[in-house]
Amino acid sequence: MTDDMPLTPEEIDDALAAELALGLLEGDEAQDAVARLSSDPGFAQAVRDWQERLAGLALNLTPVMAPARARQRIREQLGHGRAPLSDDPNTRTPWWRGTWGALSGLAAVAAVALFLWMPGQTPAPAAPDYQAQLASEDATLRVTARLDGREMEIALEQGAAADGRDYEIWWVKPDGSAPISLGLVPTSGTARMALPEELEPGEGIQIALSDEPSGGSPTGQATGPIVAIAPLTPV
Amino acid sequence: MALKEARRVELEEMIARVALADRDAFDALYDATSAKLHAVCLSVLKDRPEAEETLQEVYVRIWQSASRYASNGLSPMTWLITIARNRSIDRLRARKSRPTTAPADAAATIPSTQPGPEAATIHAQQRRMLDECLAELGEPQAGAVRAVYLEGDSYADLAARVGKPVNTIRSWLRRSLLRLKDCVGQ
Repeated sequence: MTDDMPLTPEEIDDALAAELALGLLEGDEAQDAVARLSSDPGFAQAVRDWQERLAGLALNLTPVMAPARARQRIREQLGHGRAPLSDDPNTRTPWWRGTWGALSGLAAVAAVALFLWMPGQTPAPAAPDYQAQLASEDATLRVTARLDGREMEIALEQGAAADGRDYEIWWVKPDGSAPISLGLVPTSGTARMALPEELEPGEGIQIALSDEPSGGSPTGQATGPIVAIAPLTPV
Repeated sequence: MALKEARRVELEEMIARVALADRDAFDALYDATSAKLHAVCLSVLKDRPEAEETLQEVYVRIWQSASRYASNGLSPMTWLITIARNRSIDRLRARKSRPTTAPADAAATIPSTQPGPEAATIHAQQRRMLDECLAELGEPQAGAVRAVYLEGDSYADLAARVGKPVNTIRSWLRRSLLRLKDCVGQ
């Protein structure tokens, strides 16, 4: 085969199979080639041979570990790790609803544990009206949110965000509306903030922490996984 | 070689168990392959959040279509890589708001009439040959093949890069691919 000789019909077919395997075809040509897969076993085999041949290129790529949250989200999407397997994995649930089931049990455990460990130990300064005890699944991160009037205090008890990451605090209403950002967890110690006007503390409110790029979510909605969620409970 | 075959069999067993909705097998398959598939997504998309999201779609799809794997005759890694690559390219094309090209996944779902261990051995040999043959193909041909496969370049992308008409690029790449196949098949 030299460059100035036209391709034989067999070569043209094989090149077409390569182009289909590579995703290089467009429009009608692509549709025709896809249709041919089911009517022409030889052509379908040629496409698979090209896939097999070229996959070696990908095998040479250096593996890159995906963050743990990727697996967590896959499980959530497939409804794994939740009791009934009745969820349709094709329907996308907003994270604040999807993670609810997965994490609410955890939050309850954390709350009970706290209750057992700190009997009668109210924080010395003015008792807050509401609080939420947040803990990550592996308990390496613990954050307490306290609400006194309309002032919210966020205390990092244990753990820290990874380099270049921040934990963002979210106010999650029971009505399923999009969570509202309350800012970032301090890198150490305690931070205070005034509760935004439109937010009213009460039953059913949850506080969540998500893992975000440094400075917080670039979109205003949580972009990273929810690492902890807990109900805001009256004290 | 023996090791490669053992791994192949191991992956095939995992996929077979995933087809029966075995979550432990799915976890094991994820452990064994997700870093490689993530690398494929990253190579095409060059964007961490997008690659991560695509990886999630890929494993959801693997879970859903594992039952169709046994009949398609691809080696397990090729099947997995093809799903990851196709998803990534779909997303890349959507990002460029160009019409998506052929869902090449279709090929992976058409039952094969000739799988068999013999074909598998041939494929393993072909894979070993691939690097040598790309080297023999020389540049810029080898680079173009890599750009198309690993970065999802279209003919239009290649043409824009080289400053030549799409048709010229197309016949040039076709010849390069056929030459590559001749070499690998030797």
